Parts: sequence; C-alpha cells; structure tokens
Amino acid sequence: MSEYLIEVKDLCKKFPIKGGLLGREIGAVSAVNNVSFKIKKGETLGLVGESGCGKTTLGRSILRLIEPTSGEIIFNGKNIVDYTPAQMRAVRRKMQIIFQDPYASLNPRMTVGDILAEPMEIHGLHTEKASRRARLLELLNQVQLPADALNKYPHEFSGGQRQRICIARALAVEPEFIVCDEPVSALDVSVQAQVVNLLMDLQRDLGLTFLFIAHDLKVVEYISNRVAVMYLGNMIEVAESSELYGHAKHPYTKALFSAIPHASTEGRAGRIILEGDIPSPMNPPSGCHFNPRCWNATEECRKNFPPITNQSPTHQYRCYNPIQ
Amino acid sequence: MTEKILEVKDLVVEFRTDRGAVKAVNGVNFDVFKGKTLGIVGESGSGKSVTALAIMGLIPNPPGRVASGQILFNGKSLVNMEPGEMRKIRGNKIAMIFQEPMTSLNPVFTIGNQIEEVIELHQTHLSASERAAKAVDMLRLVGIPSPEKRVKEYPHQLSGGMRQRVMIAIALSCEPDILIADEPTTALDVTIQAQILELMKKLQKELGMGIILITHDLGVVAETCDTVSVMYCGQIVESADVKTLFNHPAHPYTKGLMDSIPSFDSTSGHRKERLQTIEGMVPSLFNLPKGCNFQDRCSKVTDDCRGSQGDPVLKPSKGVDHNVACFNPLN
Repeated sequence: MSEYLIEVKDLCKKFPIKGGLLGREIGAVSAVNNVSFKIKKGETLGLVGESGCGKTTLGRSILRLIEPTSGEIIFNGKNIVDYTPAQMRAVRRKMQIIFQDPYASLNPRMTVGDILAEPMEIHGLHTEKASRRARLLELLNQVQLPADALNKYPHEFSGGQRQRICIARALAVEPEFIVCDEPVSALDVSVQAQVVNLLMDLQRDLGLTFLFIAHDLKVVEYISNRVAVMYLGNMIEVAESSELYGHAKHPYTKALFSAIPHASTEGRAGRIILEGDIPSPMNPPSGCHFNPRCWNATEECRKNFPPITNQSPTHQYRCYNPIQ
Repeated sequence: MTEKILEVKDLVVEFRTDRGAVKAVNGVNFDVFKGKTLGIVGESGSGKSVTALAIMGLIPNPPGRVASGQILFNGKSLVNMEPGEMRKIRGNKIAMIFQEPMTSLNPVFTIGNQIEEVIELHQTHLSASERAAKAVDMLRLVGIPSPEKRVKEYPHQLSGGMRQRVMIAIALSCEPDILIADEPTTALDVTIQAQILELMKKLQKELGMGIILITHDLGVVAETCDTVSVMYCGQIVESADVKTLFNHPAHPYTKGLMDSIPSFDSTSGHRKERLQTIEGMVPSLFNLPKGCNFQDRCSKVTDDCRGSQGDPVLKPSKGVDHNVACFNPLN
C-alpha cells in the first residue's frame, strides 16, 4: 500500500461554452488544466488562489461531484474516475466535503439529529436505534456542541456552530479524506480560530487527510503541511508551507503573499501591487497565463507554457524566470 | 492640529422589534479629521455598519431611529435634519461605498449614466456635456483603463475590482469631505484589495478627505488607518492611534482579536501552536449581561466586570489619546 491516500494525475475539467441560435458548442473554459498532486495519509494540502482560478472545481472534481473531463484520481490505490455510481457511493463514504456557507448547506427543515443521521442511513451505518443515538452524541461531542442540539433546527445556531454541524455531518460516515472548501471564510475571526483549531484536533485524533481550499493565505499557511497555488486553472507552485512563504519561486506566489495586509504596524516588507485583473479563462493569454501581469516576463513567457521545475523533492513550480 | 470635520457624540441607535427595542449602537463617540482615516473594527453585529448608516441618515425608520446623541458635520447637527437639507449633504459632502460592488450598481444603466446621475443631482451648474466629461475624468482618476470606452459599458461587463473602482468614482465625483467605506474590499481578492486600498490612500492625499473605514480585517486597519476604534456589542471598547493599538492593546477583546489571526512568523516546517481563540460567542443584543458585555468571554474577568461597578466607560489609559472601556486593562 502506498503512503499516499490520494493521487491526482493530469486532471482536466473543461466547461463547454454554448452560443449562437442553435446553442452549439463554440469553445471551452479550462477550469482545471492538467493538475497533478499527491496527498499523504494524515497530511493537509492547502490550495490557494483568487476567485475563478479553479480551486473549487478541482476540489469537487476529486469527489466527482463535478465529472472531470480527463485524468486519473487514485484513491487508496484505485482509479475512481471510471467507477459506476454504485461503486462511487461506497467510495464516498471515505471521502467527504465541507462547504463554505454554513447558512446554505444545512436543510432548514431538518433537525440537527436528522441532518447527522441522514448520511448514516444512506450508508447503512448504526442501524439500531440505540447505537445510532450513541453515535450522534459522540459526533456532537467531537465537534463540541451540547447534546440538546439534536432536536434543534439550524436557524437556532450561530455561523460558527452551524459550521460545526457541517463538520459533524462530514464525520458521520467515518471518512478518511475531507475536502474543506473555504470552511472558515464566512466566519468572524474569533470564531474562525475556534473552527481551525477544531479541524486540526480532529485530524490528529481521527487521522484524517485534508484538502484545504481557501483564499485566506494566513489560514492556509497555518493549517497546511504543504500548499499549492493555482492561477487560471493551473497549479503554478507547490511547496511545504513555510518554504512557500519564505522562498516562493513563482512571481505570482510572491505577489499573492505580499498583498496580504499584516496586522502589525512594524516591519512591513515591500508590497508588490499587481497591475490589472485575472484574465478571462475563456480566452487565456498565450504562454504562461500570468505573463501580462508579471514584471519578470520575457519573450519566452509569452510564447510557451512553462514546464514543471523541481526545486527540491517537495517544491515544484512552473516559471521560466523564477525569483532567486 | 488638523481640522475636525465630523463629531459623533453619545450616539444611540435603537431598533424596535417584536421582542422589544434593541440598541444596535449604544453610546458611541468619535471624531473624524480632514485628511485622516479612522478605522472602525468589529465582528458582525457589533454595530459598525449601523453607525455608518446613522451618519448618512439612512437608518430605516421605522423600525430604527437615532434615539439620542449627536452627529455634527462641520458643527451642524445631522440628526433630525430636514430631509431636503440632508439630501444636499448625502452623496455630496458625505459619500459612502458599500461592501458589495456586485449589488450596489444598477445593472440596467451604463456606468457613465450612474456617475452622471450623482453629478446632475449635486452640481446643477454643469451642462450635460460637462457631466459626461467629468464622468470620464472620474474613471480615469480611479485608474480604469480606456475610460472613454468604459463609460458606455454596463456593470456586468466589469470585474469585481473594476466595479468597486466605479463605486469609488461615484462616491468621489462630488469631492466629498468625508468618505465612508463600509468593508470596501471584503468581497475582493487579495491582489485586487491591495490595488483598491492603495488607490484610496492616493486619492485621500490628492483630495484631502476624511475617511471612515469600516472593516473586520485588522490587517487592512494596520495598513491604512491613522486612528482606530474597536466596537463590541454596539459600544466602542478601545480607541487609539493605530501604532498604540497594535503595539499595546489594552482591552482583552482587542488582544483576543489580534491573537486569533494566524501569523506568518514561524519558520519551522512543523505544526504551529494552537491558535488563541476567544471562547464562546458574541452575546445577543436582547440579552446583554450586566456590567461589561465581554465578561463571559474574558480571561481577566473579576466581580467589578459583572456589574458591581456599573458598566465600564471609555476612559483614558496610559496615553492621552488611548481610551479603553475595561476595569482590568492589559499592560
């Protein structure tokens, strides 16, 4: 058995663009473009990038909530891309997702008990009443909610508590791998810290593996062992989180980190302010997609798409003129 | 000494609800100076946006109303001002940008139309062609490329960052004395946020307006504000100049907020220490505790905080301009 729980190889997702009177396909948006990575058991891979860079599409494609166009997803040594829906259901017990908006992802008409019991019902777990109830109480305890929450409805909880309910629902089927899609972005800072701590405790206690998607670099750097940076559907750099922060090779990574406002008035490093916006993924620039905004761009960057360079076994990037 | 242009004194904003009246803003004091930026920080529900709406005279009435206190703009009271009079100030002398650039522009008018509308309302001496020229100038001012083409476009043709620039252009088109920015960058990506904050600083230097920046992001405050007020449950719990606040926070809530942000300091490749959190959650405004509102979440709570000494009031800490509402302030 390999040490990697999940391995993604050359994953692509293209969304068709339809136009004209007959609604014919006139093009495609490459939301995710030849992305490959591996995550070890018990590890957290952070995934950062600006809106529209494809990080959510990537997260969902891995669970096949969005069908990938091509590529392989190897989970526990098996390629799940060609699995039938029935086979997929069994695998999904092992892979779960937590969504960004805890207000929209809980059914307002179900009690918390019903919400947490539903995944167990689907997968036929804890079918006896007593054992079901014991499991529900255990779940609430794991996410530090009181036992009387079982009979309450989602509207009776605050944002942070609702996100705890979402976490408990994901844990209900004892998964090994959880995609956390911006789980703390909608929360206030003091509550955000509580949820981040909770996720890290759960990972330690239950041996979970996370793909942690967020646009907040500080949170990602904090929670992740390794961080991958995406830009317009491509993974442009991946490294251990401290390495990436201190020694980013790709100019975009460097600019992204430097744009974060620091909550201190001392020792502010020079800020790189990028010109312009992210180009439209419908019509990405030729060569390196970052070249129109890059201050290091050369003729080569405008012509060819940069290949992967191995800086070290754990640090890869795609750039012709990396930062020294 | 710079000129004081806005003075808020003991402002109380009340909302009537089925469960009784709540004070969303409860005794808030602050001043805004020409050419300076005041930051108002707090979590959701702390009353920061309601404070801003009160200054603009935009509190929906009913159910809300300014129950007591004063808002003085250049010495003139804005509370209970004649609506016609207020309309001359709102959008003209005091302008506001909102959090959501996606929803605060009208999708069926071109952005040129929307900028010209403000100019038409407030600068009646300008002709139609002068207004159109001014709209182009404003877009150029906020750094939108090829403004002559962009004025004819509709909001959906622009990106989020561009739309926020248009919002700023609308707000600044009458050269206001005060700009209220309510979470202007919260909906934007970090690289775009950096552009917008830089732009606001640049325009402030050129036009000399006072800015009230409302945000929950302490990083944004540290980088852009001159003075800061921290709000909790409708009250200001600490106010100081930005350096003092970040280097010597005196209120346990301010300190807690700062500690809950992960920092980039650690260079080790291993897991860092647990994040410091503020336990519990913000109490309901319907059911505030006696004494300090922060007592149930505070690590330094004593009997004084639980009401035996009354409510904590904002009073000077060590520095002259450093005020804190706490019985046991930190050193």
